[in-house]
Amino acid sequence: MNSKVKLSLGFGILLVFTLAANLVWGQEGGATASAQAKEAAEAQAPASPPAKPAENLPDAPSSSQTAPSLSELGFSKEETEANARQQALLDKRTHMLKIHQRMGLITAIPLVATVVTSMNAGGRDTSSASRDLHVALGSLTGDLYGITAYYAIRAPRVPGTETRGQIRLHKTLAWIHGPGMIMTPILGAMAFNEKNKGEKVHGIASAHGPVAIVTAGAFGAALLSVSVKF
Amino acid sequence: MPFHKTMYATSSYNQISMAKRKLVVFLVLAAANVFTAPAFAADRQWVLKQSTLTYHVSHPLHQTEGVSHAARGKGVCHDGQCEFLIAVPVKTFDSGDSNRDLHMIQVTRGAEFPMVTVRTRLPESGAASATVKADLEIQFAGQTTQYKQVQFQLVTQGNETRISGTIPATLADFKIDPPSLLTMPVKNDIPVRVEMTWGAE
Repeated sequence: MNSKVKLSLGFGILLVFTLAANLVWGQEGGATASAQAKEAAEAQAPASPPAKPAENLPDAPSSSQTAPSLSELGFSKEETEANARQQALLDKRTHMLKIHQRMGLITAIPLVATVVTSMNAGGRDTSSASRDLHVALGSLTGDLYGITAYYAIRAPRVPGTETRGQIRLHKTLAWIHGPGMIMTPILGAMAFNEKNKGEKVHGIASAHGPVAIVTAGAFGAALLSVSVKF
Repeated sequence: MPFHKTMYATSSYNQISMAKRKLVVFLVLAAANVFTAPAFAADRQWVLKQSTLTYHVSHPLHQTEGVSHAARGKGVCHDGQCEFLIAVPVKTFDSGDSNRDLHMIQVTRGAEFPMVTVRTRLPESGAASATVKADLEIQFAGQTTQYKQVQFQLVTQGNETRISGTIPATLADFKIDPPSLLTMPVKNDIPVRVEMTWGAE
């Protein structure tokens, strides 16, 4: 046989051998490499949370050996670990703010009634019945407002949370209706005394009406800011 | 030795030397080919490059959407079948209102179960289709729920595949108490719109 033919035949056999080796060893090597990488990833995985019923197990691994696992995705330990303390804080916060919401809605009722009865409380009429009713409703409003404010102020804060969205308006309006709900009954008491003496309401006591209107308006806007989207 | 024989001998010698050199070079290249990363391995991997997950909550006074771009995912294909895992932290969803987001984390027990994970298995040939139906296993709020035959649209551009679809999730599926506003609860349906870009490795 010609030497050239022999050499060509030799090259051909070697080429076939090389391709076959690639197919066989390449598959096994790839599978071995991925299995080793998976073992290494599992070894570095954070400690799993306490055992739970199978149907509730978060991140339960798939039965398949090739399925990726959560530890391979690169999330930090802080992002994947459960935090029962944080959950308890959020639960308490939600509970108190639900009471705050309910009390705020309840407070709105006597507040509206107080504003309505203010029509007959002032003026030249010296009848005390209308004024007494207005005072009573105003007092009830003030008490309920205090309870509402307490639950909002005492609700736990979540560290690292930036206030965003319409809740910012709700919190800002508190700086108007808060001082207003303190000043309104004080000015109202002064006006009540002057009226009872038969005097015309004058001086700073005459600011009771405007302050009350601004306070009620801010309260209503605060209620709307967390009820409707604008 | 006669000149012509010398010439013939020299020419033959040169040819054999050249052939030997070629053989050596070929063997070196072949050896390198055997021991380098396999070019014909059957396993293929997919990595999630970009994602937008959007949940939608309906209330008589409010329509709310929360968006997260923080999902990560990986897919491993073997023997014509691909297994995918996508995970996203609950706290990364942003509805535009910090108070609402905190309530969302509380009601979904997001501090206790911080991750939403989605597992699915698809045929590798599905990447060539325009639509694919997938069976999803979702872990969220401490519950595991299966969604069968969820349809996704696929658009392949080069080495990347864009997948979009909507998961018909509900609050009841994950045993979540419906939040309420002004004594009115939100709707049970919380569809999640998924838009992802996957790259093959």
